[in-house]
Amino acid sequence: MPSQLIIDYTKCTGCRMCELACSAKNEGLFQPSKARLKIVKYDDLGIDIPNVCGPCEEAPCVEICPVYAMRRDPITKMTYHDHDKCILCKSCVGVCVNGIIQLDTEKMRIIKCDHCGGDPECARVCPTGAIQYGPSATLTTIDKHSKMETYLKEIKRTAEIQESSGDI
Amino acid sequence: MASGGYTGKILRVQLSDDDFKIEKLPREWIGEYIGGDGFAAKILYDEVPAKTDPLGDANKLIIATGPITGTLWPTSGRTVFVSKAPLTGIWGESHVGGFLGPELKYAGFDVLVVEGKSDKPVIISINDSNLELVDAKEFWGMQTHEVTNALQRKFNDPDVQVGAIGPAGENGIRYASVIVNHARAAGRTGMGAVLGSKNVKAIAIRGRGGVSVADHEGFTEFAKEAHMRIRNDPVAKEMGKWGTWMLTAVKQQIGELPTYNHRTGVFSGWEKLSGEYIRPRFTIADRACFGCSLGCKKMNYVRDGPYAGTLEEGPEYEGLMAFGSALGIDDFATTLKANQICNKYGMDIISAGATIGFAIEAFENGLIDEKATSGLLLKWGDSALIIKLLQMIGDRDAFGDILAQGSRKAAEILGNNTEQYAIHVKGLEVSGQDGRTHRSIGLSHATGSRGADHLRSLVVVDQLGFEEVAIERWGQDKLPEILDPYTEKYKAAAVVETENAYCIRDALIVCWYSTSHPPIFWMNDFAKMLPLATGEASLGNTDNLTLIAERQMAIKRLFNAREGISRKDDTLPKRFTHDPMPEGPGKGQLVNLEPMLDDYYRLRGWDKETGLPTKETIKRLSLEWA
Repeated sequence: MPSQLIIDYTKCTGCRMCELACSAKNEGLFQPSKARLKIVKYDDLGIDIPNVCGPCEEAPCVEICPVYAMRRDPITKMTYHDHDKCILCKSCVGVCVNGIIQLDTEKMRIIKCDHCGGDPECARVCPTGAIQYGPSATLTTIDKHSKMETYLKEIKRTAEIQESSGDI
Repeated sequence: MASGGYTGKILRVQLSDDDFKIEKLPREWIGEYIGGDGFAAKILYDEVPAKTDPLGDANKLIIATGPITGTLWPTSGRTVFVSKAPLTGIWGESHVGGFLGPELKYAGFDVLVVEGKSDKPVIISINDSNLELVDAKEFWGMQTHEVTNALQRKFNDPDVQVGAIGPAGENGIRYASVIVNHARAAGRTGMGAVLGSKNVKAIAIRGRGGVSVADHEGFTEFAKEAHMRIRNDPVAKEMGKWGTWMLTAVKQQIGELPTYNHRTGVFSGWEKLSGEYIRPRFTIADRACFGCSLGCKKMNYVRDGPYAGTLEEGPEYEGLMAFGSALGIDDFATTLKANQICNKYGMDIISAGATIGFAIEAFENGLIDEKATSGLLLKWGDSALIIKLLQMIGDRDAFGDILAQGSRKAAEILGNNTEQYAIHVKGLEVSGQDGRTHRSIGLSHATGSRGADHLRSLVVVDQLGFEEVAIERWGQDKLPEILDPYTEKYKAAAVVETENAYCIRDALIVCWYSTSHPPIFWMNDFAKMLPLATGEASLGNTDNLTLIAERQMAIKRLFNAREGISRKDDTLPKRFTHDPMPEGPGKGQLVNLEPMLDDYYRLRGWDKETGLPTKETIKRLSLEWA
């Protein structure tokens, strides 16, 4: 069974150690803006959402690439970027549903996660187990939006109670 | 070219001229001060002369980072705000977690100095090398969470890090804070009032650069090992689960949970303020600051009762104390609501709570009446009253205007011997400790550079009895006295040694929780890590680190001396030295401060009579310029 990055959305504390470790390994310095994954933070709600590469049902980055620089491994379903073929059109950057493919304007290249060749640094450093690497079937994938939906429902519920009792 | 870890640049915002200036970080500062508090102390001493009005144009606000800010080193996401303090008129500093400091490094600056005064409200916007003062007319008056959200929308980037003031900072409340990431506060001494006085509503930073260390492989490996140390540390694991709420039970057990304005050290309602009670009922998410594997921040939500719907991070133990036990409140929802109001208005919870406690006790004892309090009946344990008073303080409305001055000034205004209930040192309200049941914190409160401080020299090892750590750090010969919280003997030695390590901690900058109980990291770890980060071999020597720490202490002391501070000001409220602890495990205990002070000055190389660094000490620390 091929391995994937599995996210438990209830466990992320938003510490961004994954971004630090990713850039440390892949760029040789601490630069979260060039990390191959991204924590989206909602400080007012207390929600932190890791965005990583895969697992994608469809692979829009592969489908959109006009020069076949992005390809998908049929077994692991992981997508890989080929720098030599790339024409830097940025189509993959725009189409990535997780927003983790980007153009490095310093070195003029596309940067994209490759799961560190099978031993992803982000999963190694994650202190809470929010990011794990393993066969997706053996790990419970927790619905990405469930945490936020529960939150918002609860906020709405209490707001309604307050409104009906005239107590703001 | 600066050493590893540093960006090598200082950014000055000259508000009066609507201008920015970039300076080189002086190379020699690295070996002499390391960063953080060290850099800030040097700048403040040099550039803010004696008798400067803290809320005037000539005061400066320094926002400093250290060599490892923005790296993978655990708990290194911190920043310090330093200025001459509006609350106390002396050295003011406040550290904050969150994500602001690393972003400043990524934008390319080690230090940001805010100077002068803008003639209209502005936002200081730092977007990599694009520096701009943005008109803040539309943001003035907003609460901190509103302006933070509004700026992220304005710049169309949720990753813009914002340090904002709320109405409290705008209104010149003497203990106004700067709020980062909605709920992380640079709370103490009034840094928000300094920003407000300069017409700066917020500092918005976005940086896309990186931080390079001298030995990337070596440093990264050590940092990962350090993270594993935190992840495997039994106390750190508990902290990750309960946050600082685990302290409530500990403090109650040892009789040091400040209750009724520090009158006593035990609180009958403590259980409802303990982690075990709060977490299952209120906590909905665990959160962390940048690069932290401990994760002590808790997002909480109130499901029912008068504060239903309150969603807020915090409060810490200090908030539970300030709005809980210290005011006779045994209800977590009240402390969360109070914490939220303080965050939104941008004001310090410890000073706000303590100033309210001062007023309640003065009222209880008939020193002030309803005429003074705008008709309010003040009493302990009145949840609605506390929430109302906080809003009045934030708006400087009626009686709130007096409480907005802090307890020392409020006592001056109210007169009639109310000063006896103002529990402060040098104007800074006492935090959630009590020297009567923990002698070394008595000394810390009395000697702290910014006043009654629990973060610069609080010794935990003696109080909680970590014997092995005590032997290793202070020597077998000082046991058992040094571990006895009720004796003064050797306490200065513990305080000085701890304070020195914390100076380095505050120069790096890393979080207090990685150096507290018992410390996960100490001087030898910093000495191993610093050369890997900076490439400076001299920072690999613990004796040299101690010297740098002593230098930092001396500069802060000299800054205060210029404002008239000397041994006579290193005191404690009478409550701790004259009113024996009335009940609990520490019943009958008092602080005998003078012998500890004698020891402290001797160990610091400060004059016993004046409490100021001697000529020899100044020479030894190469501070002849000061």
